[in-house]
Amino acid sequence: MRRLFIALCATQLFLLGATTMSAQDSSYDENALRVESRLGDLQIVRGISGTVVARAGLFRGPRVTNLVSSSEPALAEAKVFERDYNPGQYMAAAGIALLGAAIGAARIPDLNNGITSGLIGSSVLLIGVGGFKLESAYRALSKAIWWYNRDLKR
Amino acid sequence: MKSRLISALIAGALCVTIPASKAAAQRSDSSRYDGQALRYESSWGSARIIRGADGPIVGTAGWFRGIDVEKVVAGSPAARAEARAYKSNSFRASVVETLGATTTVVGVVLAANGSNNAATPILIIGGVGAMVWGAQQFHTAFSALSRSLWWYNRDVVRASLSPPPAPVAVPTSQAEQGKRNEHPE
Repeated sequence: MRRLFIALCATQLFLLGATTMSAQDSSYDENALRVESRLGDLQIVRGISGTVVARAGLFRGPRVTNLVSSSEPALAEAKVFERDYNPGQYMAAAGIALLGAAIGAARIPDLNNGITSGLIGSSVLLIGVGGFKLESAYRALSKAIWWYNRDLKR
Repeated sequence: MKSRLISALIAGALCVTIPASKAAAQRSDSSRYDGQALRYESSWGSARIIRGADGPIVGTAGWFRGIDVEKVVAGSPAARAEARAYKSNSFRASVVETLGATTTVVGVVLAANGSNNAATPILIIGGVGAMVWGAQQFHTAFSALSRSLWWYNRDVVRASLSPPPAPVAVPTSQAEQGKRNEHPE
């Protein structure tokens, strides 16, 4: 009887270990996130199946905070992403538009050179600042997803 | 009586051991992930591959330069397949982008010099088109890189990799096909 009890306990222990390992694997396989880009669109996809769970629209970043809210460090990075992504997009787009205006202004014969220079300077500044903001946003997104995937198995 | 006492002791030991060993396993998993899991950050057109949240930069990939991603993720067959896709797409994108940019600049310079050459708009349109297609290839490449690191980190979680990942022999195409079937996208 005692041997039977010990055998049962050992089996239970083995099965519990196997279940824990399997649960961790499936958690990552089904829930881990990654960033992909399709036709220029930023997408966040989940798991092996690659289900798209968030995507960036025109001047609107993906809602990352909702996705990674289960992990505190991921949430902190996601907030940085959401803080920097939209302003970065707006600034870069405004800079490119101003650059177009500057090129157009340069072709007008009697226009004050100061206007053209001002437009070019402003556009370079906007593209630069916007670019830095976007870089910061992408860096934060990378960290947010890394932390989220790390904390999945807890 | 003695038998019951032994059984009770075994049951008690199991109650203490199982949660403790589970917690230890989770700690071990976290530290393994912290030390080995990779991610990439884009940086002005290139991608830095970083180990850990704030860890060391393993290498920089992008525009005609890059570390051998396949080597970095060598311990994971699925990751290696995606790394190969990244490499081919990235090289193609770099070539097409360079050709497109050069063609566009030549077209713009000709147009600025007042040349009435009929080829000028063709050069500009063709160049811009090549740049757009090249950018598309870069996006495809970075998606493959993202998937490659995802697979690699998955195998870190599964603890099937030994630190640090060492280069391994490239599998035969048949073995690789088998792996792809095992992990359908």
